[in-house]
Amino acid sequence: MRRTYLGEFEEMILLMVAILDGEGYGVTISEALEAHTGRIVTFGTVHNTLIRLEEKGFVTSALGGATAERGGRRKRLFRVTALGSQALQEIQQLRQHLWQLLPPHTLRLGGI
Amino acid sequence: MRSPEQPPRWAQWLLVRLHPHNTLEEVAGDLQELYTYWYNRSGKTQATLRYLLNVVSVLPPFVRSRKTDKQYYQQPEPRATANLTSIMIRNYLKIAFRNLKRQKVSTSINIAGLAIGLATCILIMLYVQDELSYDRYNEKADRIFRVGLSLRLNGEDVGGPILGPNAARDLQQEFPEVLKTTRITRETEFVSYGTSSFKEDKLLRADSGFFDVFTIPFLKGDPKRALNEPNTLVLTRETALKYFGNQDPVGKALLFGSEKTPYRVTGVVGDVPANSHFQFDILASLPGYDQQHTGWIYNINFYTYVVLPAKYNYKQLETKISRLAENRIGSELEQFLKINAKQFREKGDDFGVFLQPLTDIHLRSPFGGTELTPGGNILYVYVLLAIAAFMLLIACVNFINLSTATATRRSREVGVRKVLGSVKGQLQQQFLIESVLLAMAALIIGLLIVGLALPFFNQLTGKNLTFRLLTNGSVAAGLVIGTVLVGLLAGSYPAFYLSSFKPVLVLKGRMTTARGRFNLRSGLVVFQFFITISMIIATVTADRQLRYMKTQKVGFDREQVLVIQNTNMLRNNEAVFRDKIIQSPQVTMGSISGQVPVGNTAIDNTTVMSREQPDKGVMSRFYKVDDAYIPTLGIRMVQGRNFSKSFPTDSSAVILNETAVRALGWQQHPIGKELIGHIDDNGVKTYYRVIGVVSDFHFESLRQKIGPLVMFLGENSGNILVKTSTAKLPQLLASLKQQWETFSPAAPFSYSFLDDRFEQVYLSEQKIEQVLTLFSSLTIFIACLGLFGLATYTAEQRTKEIGIRKALGASIASVVALLSKDFLKLILIALVLASPIAGWGMHQWLNGFAYKVTINWWTFALAGLLAVGIALLTVSFQSIKAALTDPIKSLRSE
Repeated sequence: MRRTYLGEFEEMILLMVAILDGEGYGVTISEALEAHTGRIVTFGTVHNTLIRLEEKGFVTSALGGATAERGGRRKRLFRVTALGSQALQEIQQLRQHLWQLLPPHTLRLGGI
Repeated sequence: MRSPEQPPRWAQWLLVRLHPHNTLEEVAGDLQELYTYWYNRSGKTQATLRYLLNVVSVLPPFVRSRKTDKQYYQQPEPRATANLTSIMIRNYLKIAFRNLKRQKVSTSINIAGLAIGLATCILIMLYVQDELSYDRYNEKADRIFRVGLSLRLNGEDVGGPILGPNAARDLQQEFPEVLKTTRITRETEFVSYGTSSFKEDKLLRADSGFFDVFTIPFLKGDPKRALNEPNTLVLTRETALKYFGNQDPVGKALLFGSEKTPYRVTGVVGDVPANSHFQFDILASLPGYDQQHTGWIYNINFYTYVVLPAKYNYKQLETKISRLAENRIGSELEQFLKINAKQFREKGDDFGVFLQPLTDIHLRSPFGGTELTPGGNILYVYVLLAIAAFMLLIACVNFINLSTATATRRSREVGVRKVLGSVKGQLQQQFLIESVLLAMAALIIGLLIVGLALPFFNQLTGKNLTFRLLTNGSVAAGLVIGTVLVGLLAGSYPAFYLSSFKPVLVLKGRMTTARGRFNLRSGLVVFQFFITISMIIATVTADRQLRYMKTQKVGFDREQVLVIQNTNMLRNNEAVFRDKIIQSPQVTMGSISGQVPVGNTAIDNTTVMSREQPDKGVMSRFYKVDDAYIPTLGIRMVQGRNFSKSFPTDSSAVILNETAVRALGWQQHPIGKELIGHIDDNGVKTYYRVIGVVSDFHFESLRQKIGPLVMFLGENSGNILVKTSTAKLPQLLASLKQQWETFSPAAPFSYSFLDDRFEQVYLSEQKIEQVLTLFSSLTIFIACLGLFGLATYTAEQRTKEIGIRKALGASIASVVALLSKDFLKLILIALVLASPIAGWGMHQWLNGFAYKVTINWWTFALAGLLAVGIALLTVSFQSIKAALTDPIKSLRSE
């Protein structure tokens, strides 16, 4: 199975892009990450990860949607590519498959 | 809605300065949005702190830099990009053609200049290649060496590439590394078959090793046995045809000389390659030599060749041979001169042997006159190569000059292209393609010129050069690559210059070139006029020297003197023939002599001593003449009398020339003095008494100084010199021929005129002069083309200026002067630079002549005047045209 390696944080960001469905850009992605996972990261981390995801071909980007509160600057809006969504689904399926293999008693809290 | 809360200015500034610019827009926007968000949530301080932290996180080295969009989205499909370039190249070609068509004058000047430069280069390359290919056709070319003799006798170098007959045999016996040897001698013989008889100039004699050493293909017969037996010979195909027609020559006999000795034909070979240092029509076996008088320095007539093993260092053998030679030649000296080698050297004389690689013989042999065929000169090869390089350089210079000059015309195009998004690289590419295109066109035209000029060039150089060399794959490829390189080189300056234009300036029309300062373009003009003026100086000097040699008083009468050659073939009837022809009223006098001044003649150099000082030898030329010789040639007697039949004692009398008198130390009263003319093997001296002195005359060419000359009265057959006094030469010649044939000699009747022989001697100087004239006119032509183009450009540049000047009242003359002045300055600079250098070079050349012209100041003045005149003519065409233009026309646009 040939697959580009997708790191945990990358997976998170990719999920955020997918959730935001075309409305994802630096600010919204950071905010969604904070809102849904509580993780506060520097903007540079998000920025770099998005570039890396784009290089790997999981997202594409386009400039657009300038608003006054950003001083008339355009946003770079991200969108999940077919490859990206396939990667997310594969991860999801793998997880599900693994969960099914899990014996029911192993995860009992504190062994009670 | 613009939020009043702004992140700190300096942090924004930092972001703008340091963040990668292709992601700056979105990142700055995002950060500002976040700042507002943080500000509303947690207040200014928190927001500022977080803003700063996040700005730092997107600065190098933390930030990941985004590659350009093109790399993301258009990465694959290389075919698409290739298509794009080919479209661009097609566009360049189209634009190039349009441009060349629009600027017909400068295009044709450019192509013509480059084509002539290339043609000259190709011709010279053909010539040089031929010169360098000499003797390389031999399979063992790198292993064949010739053994020569260096001999210094009475202070004069008399050695050469020849040795006595025994050297070859001794070398083979003594040294195992000498694999093969062969000896060659040359002679001229009359050869007859049946009723036809020919004088064979190209007759060589060689021993049986010849075909082991040299590679000459055999058509008939066996090379191993061809020359084994005495009195055998090998013919070339052409000679075989001459004697035998279509019959098979092998086994038949040719008759040699007046004794009609039969020589049997044992083989036929293909013609000797033209690039061989020896040429023969007939190769005959060597006669056996009488063993008593043979050795290394007796009968020095044999060109001796040895074949060494592959990769053998010949210098090693040279030292070994020198030891053997020391031994052999030393003992011969003792035998002949009664002194040993040490005493011989103490007199200031010396001897030794040396080896010469076969492939060096043609170009690097210092023994011009003694070679089997006149050789070339490596110096001329270098000079020609230099000329070729200069011609090409000048053509390139013109090209650069013109392209740069026409730059302003195209500056608008460059501006528009730049505005539309052309980058420097593309513009450079465009101009380089254009210049390579021009260079290729020039190459094609150049090849056409070579094709047309080749017959004349062959006539001039006496060679048989063909295009065949150019059809060789690597040579052709080299030519094309060379041309492309020339195109790139010539186009590179304009390409970089043009592409560096600033589009705003160009489109505003503010493109002016600086005038009045010494820029590159003027430097190039100076350079080519430097070459041109040097060439003119060289040509003028060579021409003057040639004229000087031709008109120099030679000291004898060369008009109306007919030389009947080969009269020795009449044998005993020579004198009878002479007596018969002088009875004709058209003939004033006739003299029999082997020695004719100037040109190929029997040379006899011997040492004479005065009776008073028998130790002091004077190397002098011996002439054996009869009593009619001096009056026939009209040589002036200074003192004493001519030989005469009424003095029987004249057989032991001599007549000297003035130089000989001085050399022998008899300035006062030479008449009656005695000199030692001959010492035989037993040391018996023969004395001769001086009866007369003739004024010095040039018995050799003017290259040599007049040496001492001693004339004896004696039998010396060979030629009959006839002084005629007739206007009806054809009749005289017919009657002479008729009388000649009554003796049925083995040789055909042949004659020459003394003044024609004289011209022959200076053939090589004449060739040099012709070559110089040719090349200097070509350089002048190319330089003029360059100047013409430049003048056109200057005039065009200054159209408005001229218009204003004229409107304000300038005269036509002052405008012409204005335009020509700049060029004249450059040419004067070139003249000042060229004069000393060319003067020095020609001084070196003239040093080769004993009698020579001096280089006058007026030579330089003439060259300068010529250059200035030609330049003015070229420039004035354009400047007058510019000056005559109506100012209304030049000023109305704008």
